[in-house]
Amino acid sequence: MHTGNADFLNFVLALFKAMQRDNLGYVYRGRFTQEITDNILALTENKLEKEEHSSKIKKRVYSILVECLQNITRHQDDAKNDLPDSNGLFVIQKQEDKYFITTGNMVMNDNIDYIKNLIETINSLEKEELKSYYKMVLEDGSLSAKGGAGLGLIDMARKSGNKLLYQFRPVKEDSSFFYLHTIPSLEGLEGNFENKEESLNNIISIHNTLNAENILLVSNGPFNQESLMVLLGSLEGQMTGTISHKKKVFYIVVEMLQNIVKHGYAPESKALGNPGIFILGSHKGFYTITTGNYVDKNKSGELKEKLEKVNSLTQDELDNYFNKCLFDFEIDSSKKAGLGIIDLRIKSGNPISYTFSEVTDEFTFFSLQTVITTE
Amino acid sequence: MLEALIIESKEDTPKVVLDSINKVFQISERSLPENAIGFYEPVLEWLNQYATDPVEITIFNFSLEYFNTASAKQIAKILLILENIAKKQRVAINWYYKKEDSDMLSSGTRFSKLIDLNFSFIES
Repeated sequence: MHTGNADFLNFVLALFKAMQRDNLGYVYRGRFTQEITDNILALTENKLEKEEHSSKIKKRVYSILVECLQNITRHQDDAKNDLPDSNGLFVIQKQEDKYFITTGNMVMNDNIDYIKNLIETINSLEKEELKSYYKMVLEDGSLSAKGGAGLGLIDMARKSGNKLLYQFRPVKEDSSFFYLHTIPSLEGLEGNFENKEESLNNIISIHNTLNAENILLVSNGPFNQESLMVLLGSLEGQMTGTISHKKKVFYIVVEMLQNIVKHGYAPESKALGNPGIFILGSHKGFYTITTGNYVDKNKSGELKEKLEKVNSLTQDELDNYFNKCLFDFEIDSSKKAGLGIIDLRIKSGNPISYTFSEVTDEFTFFSLQTVITTE
Repeated sequence: MLEALIIESKEDTPKVVLDSINKVFQISERSLPENAIGFYEPVLEWLNQYATDPVEITIFNFSLEYFNTASAKQIAKILLILENIAKKQRVAINWYYKKEDSDMLSSGTRFSKLIDLNFSFIES
């Protein structure tokens, strides 16, 4: 296990940049159970409620989302194995006022031609033609043995009013990972398709990082108290394990996110909160919780000192240090790092890893990771 | 007598009942506000006034499901006021915790070691 100043955390900034580049909001990689699907729906609904004023778009994004998620649950076991790629993928992004949803799952190579043909057919049809094609497939019923696989895709295309973008990435000799990119906006995006192709490639490269680092979910800021509460709500539903273990995770997540809200640095307008990233990793025997955010360069030395101190203390010394800070009411007003970091160290029972990466003369990117051993 | 202070709970702030007429003193549910100082300001203000003329026995109930470190400091401030009251009148702390929540119990134990007050730990 790594401790202290850790270069292995460099992936955090790279991931943050990739997420920022295409304005990805939330990425989930894992098994899609009913509970998780419900949580993603609730999270997106909440996000839409805050960001989107048009109830027509809200409804459309929501209904396509339901379709996408059902598509993953229906097909997630089509190519079952123990590879990192056997997990489903869900990505939501908002760019230039439009929402994009990308989903992914493993498929057997035998099915690729069928899926390709279906999508190409769908993409070649006009709105009215799609309607009758939908009817035809519905009445025929022979298209797919899986109960409506084809219908789901046609429906997505109908609801989005845009073409479906897709890609297959080979995984093994008999299976591939199928990426589907939908644009649930009102008007089409003529001429902008090349751009989207690039965006999908970026998502695929992010997905590779997620696979390599065993990441379960990534949430891109901006972080404020409101978005923090939404994220917490969805995490509460996604965590497995005993109540006391879940609670521990909850404590740690709150402190780490409030750290961004309180001490983060916003290079531009702060209106929506501080930019940052939240990453939950699930490994054999332990979880990792990682955050990344900008900090004022003038404050980074002090922060580093505090982290090093906290990591160097024994359990008893930590307890005493916590007590001292608990009754030091001066810290409150000075905006210095307070109890939170000591608490992270005590609650997780493990040293805290961190790294600072140079960005500009004014601010640096600060990554912080705690490890929680599963009982 | 001091008028009761009652704050209804929100998603990230606790329910507060400070009522010297009915002798109910309680903080419950969740406390994880971004601005804990702001939230607890009226609570501390009320308690400071109450400290000038407390009832004979103040039984203060902490029945929190969760609190963040910023709230912990404000709870410390509350306990310091109660510690002062205990110099003239009787004060007892009931610290409730869920059976499976060992962190809540150890937070309470920590306070009981640092503050000169009579704590009872009650599994709820």
